[in-house]
Amino acid sequence: MTSFRLTAGGAVDRDHALNFTFDGKAYKGFAGDTLASALLANDQMLMARSFKYHRPRGVVTAGSAEPNALMTLGIGGRTEPNARATVTELYDGLTAKSQNRWPSLKHDFGAFNSALSPFLGAGFYYKTFMWPGLFWEKLYEPLIRRAAGLGKAVMQADPDRYEKSWAHCDLLVIGAGPTGLMAALAAGRAGARVILADEGFRFGGSLLSEGASIDGRPAAEFAASIVGELSALPNVTLMPRTTVFGWYDDMVFGAVERVQKHVAAPSPDLPMERMWRIIAKQAILATGAEERPLVFGGNDRPGVMTAGAVRTYLNRFGVAAGKRVAIFTNGGSGYRTAADLLAQGIEVAAIVDARAQSNDAAPQDVRVMRGGSVIATKGRLRIDGLIAERSGLDEVIACDALAMSGGWSPIVHLMCQRGAKPVWSEDKQAFMAPDVGGTFAAAGSAAGFDTISVCLRDGAAKARAALKALGRLVGPLDIPDVEGEYDPSFAPLWYVPGAKGKAFVDFQNDVHVGDLGLAQREGFRHIEHTKRYTTAGMATDQGKLGNVNTVGIVAGMRGVSPAEIGTTTFRPFYTPVSFGAMAGTARAEHAAPFRTSPLHGWARKNGAVFVESGLWHRSAWFPQEGEKTWRESVDREVLNVRANAGLCDVSTLGKIEVLGRGAAEFLDRIYSNGVLKLPVSRARYGLMLREDGIVFDDGTVSRLAENRYVITTTTGSASEVLSHMEFAAQTFWPELDVRCVSVTDQWAQMSLAGPKARIIMGRVVQDDISDTSFPFMSAKEVTLRGGLKGRLFRISFSGELAYELAVPAGYGEAVADAIMEAGREEGICAYGVEALNVLRIEKGHVTHSELEGRTTADDVGLGRMMAMQKPDFIGKRLSTRFGLTAADRLQLVGLKPIEADKEIKAGAHLLKDQAKPSLANDQGFVSSACFSPVLGHFIALALLKSGRERYGEKIVVWDGLRGTEVAAEVCSAVFVDPENLKLHL
Amino acid sequence: MSFHDLYRHVLEDLVTGFSTDRNANHLAVARRPAILSVLAAAGQETSVAEALHAVENAAPRFCGPSEWLLVSRTLSAEHLADALFDIRGALVVDQSEGKVLLSISGPAVRTVLAKCVAVDLHPEAFAMGQSANALICHLPGNIARTGDDEFEIVTPRSFAVSVFEELLEMGREHGLTRNFTE
Amino acid sequence: MASLITCPHCGTRPKEEFSIRGAAGPERPSPTARDEDWHRYVYVRDNPKGRYQEHWHHVAGCRRWLVVDRDNLSHEVFGVTDAAEFERARVAK
Repeated sequence: MTSFRLTAGGAVDRDHALNFTFDGKAYKGFAGDTLASALLANDQMLMARSFKYHRPRGVVTAGSAEPNALMTLGIGGRTEPNARATVTELYDGLTAKSQNRWPSLKHDFGAFNSALSPFLGAGFYYKTFMWPGLFWEKLYEPLIRRAAGLGKAVMQADPDRYEKSWAHCDLLVIGAGPTGLMAALAAGRAGARVILADEGFRFGGSLLSEGASIDGRPAAEFAASIVGELSALPNVTLMPRTTVFGWYDDMVFGAVERVQKHVAAPSPDLPMERMWRIIAKQAILATGAEERPLVFGGNDRPGVMTAGAVRTYLNRFGVAAGKRVAIFTNGGSGYRTAADLLAQGIEVAAIVDARAQSNDAAPQDVRVMRGGSVIATKGRLRIDGLIAERSGLDEVIACDALAMSGGWSPIVHLMCQRGAKPVWSEDKQAFMAPDVGGTFAAAGSAAGFDTISVCLRDGAAKARAALKALGRLVGPLDIPDVEGEYDPSFAPLWYVPGAKGKAFVDFQNDVHVGDLGLAQREGFRHIEHTKRYTTAGMATDQGKLGNVNTVGIVAGMRGVSPAEIGTTTFRPFYTPVSFGAMAGTARAEHAAPFRTSPLHGWARKNGAVFVESGLWHRSAWFPQEGEKTWRESVDREVLNVRANAGLCDVSTLGKIEVLGRGAAEFLDRIYSNGVLKLPVSRARYGLMLREDGIVFDDGTVSRLAENRYVITTTTGSASEVLSHMEFAAQTFWPELDVRCVSVTDQWAQMSLAGPKARIIMGRVVQDDISDTSFPFMSAKEVTLRGGLKGRLFRISFSGELAYELAVPAGYGEAVADAIMEAGREEGICAYGVEALNVLRIEKGHVTHSELEGRTTADDVGLGRMMAMQKPDFIGKRLSTRFGLTAADRLQLVGLKPIEADKEIKAGAHLLKDQAKPSLANDQGFVSSACFSPVLGHFIALALLKSGRERYGEKIVVWDGLRGTEVAAEVCSAVFVDPENLKLHL
Repeated sequence: MSFHDLYRHVLEDLVTGFSTDRNANHLAVARRPAILSVLAAAGQETSVAEALHAVENAAPRFCGPSEWLLVSRTLSAEHLADALFDIRGALVVDQSEGKVLLSISGPAVRTVLAKCVAVDLHPEAFAMGQSANALICHLPGNIARTGDDEFEIVTPRSFAVSVFEELLEMGREHGLTRNFTE
Repeated sequence: MASLITCPHCGTRPKEEFSIRGAAGPERPSPTARDEDWHRYVYVRDNPKGRYQEHWHHVAGCRRWLVVDRDNLSHEVFGVTDAAEFERARVAK
């Protein structure tokens, strides 16, 4: 193995060696290396196999646009596929594996695709795997899936933490090259709040890669001194390893920070990655420019890379791309590369310059072939020579690396993510940043590739303009002198005619010039169609390197300007972002916040099984020893409530206080029934409608004082009801002096129900709660033993003598314990929402199973709740529409099975006796069903056509889903105590 | 037996029993603060606002137009409500049990809170004494600046465990500690 | 990622703090208005492309209903008003 590492130079620490493996083989690199630079230093040019043809591929770039050097990093749950070796910071113990090859990178059976490549052109899959249709799902798709794809995700859970954060600034500078550093410095010195973000792990951008000197120092040293000053400014936040991937509405930028991707032993106290949402008043795009590859035959052979990449590996990492490097260029970048290589003692085979003439001067003794072109490359796993052509004469030139430069494209993706299209410049022969208004400006090379000194000046100037827009003055900034910079201008060369072998445009998706021609011939001429037909630009690199060449080549084929072809659409994310970063902390049990009742501890103590109900965790039932099924527990709880007493947590019901002089009038308009005359200390059942006349929610209204009410809502609709009331108060009747305040969380509320409820409650509450002093539907403040104040309501959902007691939340558990203790002799039990459900079905009380968004008050037997004499209430006007008063509407009824041991389940549909199941024969459906332990058989509530006229009718309960049919009798929805005698005990 | 001795804070299990060491970055839970919703009746907005700012040993937190949370660490809810009794047009609802009062402080406090709140808490944007309703750890709450490096958070009781756990998690890299303050 | 709405009471906030109800244009008819008016109010909505007034509720902030005047294509926001103010202004017209 040859070492390509230079003995000196670059920003790597040769005293700090790092061990890593690639495909199981051990290597050494240095601190400051990327995975790609360390592999190159170790003569590992072959890094990947291409997607379609499995061609051997080496690294092409030294940055985030890399299409080829994708690898799988890490092991187990930390496995990360498709990582770009060019931006992977090396750390000790890093394990990397190549992808898309079998059995090994050197010997890949998939490479036979390359031999078949004449048949695998663009659209191959569309054309081939069409027929017969059935084959698609069973055969073609699995086949393609197995062959396609690059790295593979693993099934293990990711062990790392991720988080999200907001950031705010006056000026966001994206990119910390010469432009970004000067912009941040100008704004930072002026005292503005600046964020400087760069995707790399070291600030400096091209200053780290170029051989120029600034103020008499190497460019990298100059960069370090600016970074030093910036890091001392308290108003400047430096964000290395942070990719700004998206620009969103209202100057919100998305960014992802790789907090410890580069750390050998990650700290459990730090996230692996952090997602940022940056709200910036102004932003500067200082992302620089991307060097274009040249499109010539065999341009994908390992060892062919951009000239800028060759310089980066050389100057920044101290790694030579080869021992004898050839250069193919159409501009100054190639000449600069030759000079840099020579300065490090590396042989330059030749400069092949596509231009017949240029002002660029080659270093002494370097052969220049002006007006020449490279038409083919040789070698298998690494280039060993090229064929250059000039004036019809071919010549073989030996080399072990080829630096190519096809000119530059400003990196303008972020600015185009909100719909603006990049603008073609004939002058620059590149797509330039569009004008997107006064808050986001491109600067330096991102605004038009240029020399370092122009970038330094432009960065400072754009920062000054941005701060001026914010009303801040920025003093002048001295722009240092730059020596040894080069002119990056070039003459366009979209592709080299006469290519031998494939000339690739999109390396990652294996799209070559021939594919683009095929797409034009077959009618996929719009650039968006060409893209999708050929898949150019659709790989994980999104065509960062190849898209501009695609446009240029298609323009050439069509004989028009690239301006006419335009670009495809730019969307976030600029580079791939992990799902972990997007999920942040929202995973596993933290996927959603959870909500606990103040009686949660009491329920847990009593052995509750909890059920998720929205965000709440509610007690569902309380199994006792020996009970094997939930039904056993529920049946016992129901019977005990009906015979003795039970205590249930109803804290989750929505509770809203309604206050103000207009409260009574307001509630009268909100509820369909009359509320205006409700006396103080009394409660009433209340029904709310939607404006279309359909029932919205139900609950109770209690008048605590002249201008103070507390209302309850169902658990699930609490927030919706509050929003609805606020909407009505603020937009329908802003003249009413009324305010609504949620007090759901303030009170622990418990329902004590059963014939012995009064005896038990009397032991906890000091007030007189006899039937005469505290009759049914009373509501008032009470004093508990020891002076604690609570609110007592005599309301019932179970149909039993019942009280709801509300106490301040922190006392809930103690009071519930006291009630259980007080009721021990009376045989009190804890009961959960399942028993509550059975109790209310036995009484025919409706919930959202019946109030399901289609039913009117009359449908569910609450027609008496429609106070039509009121001048107005929400839903009144449309409640009388023909459709809502039709005779054949579904109405609430009860059902009992004719054979007592048969089970009825909710969701089943109803058919007339003997009728066949069909939509036309549908008579309604079962909304709620349960086993009634009181009656000893199943019962159900149902919505049945003209149901109230059909008591006594035999009907079929057809459950197509579960495949059952049960004969049932239609009856009243009230199964237990129809005269409500127990309520008034 | 009096219920007053059996009072239980919703965060009891998450605070009691953990280390009592206090780091520079710290999250304190007020054990029994008084927190009242105060709303001004129509036409009384200004006079109620002025009166609230004059209440001793309590701080009004802005919630929205003519709506505040009046917070006191020393007065009981009853005493605080009494103090408001004479303010014309003030509608008062006790929320002392429905809300949890947290105080987070330390040199990293803004870094931690940036993970929890979208509001810009830089002193230029959110000055001493300023308060606002906002999403805090994904849930509606109120945040107030009570010092250079100190903020107070009011969060709904039923979600307090979720919010508290998220705050601790976001403060983990800065060694955030916790305790009750009486 | 986020869009920002500047609440007249709370300042600039991400859209997650709000819930959107829909067009603010339709006005609740009087209880005695014609069937046709009620039908239009409850069921008929324009679906414009461009500038549009919508009811947004600042649920996680001041809990006020707001009228957001914005372009639903570009998300340019022209103004945000308290809905009660908006109604009073409408009545005054």
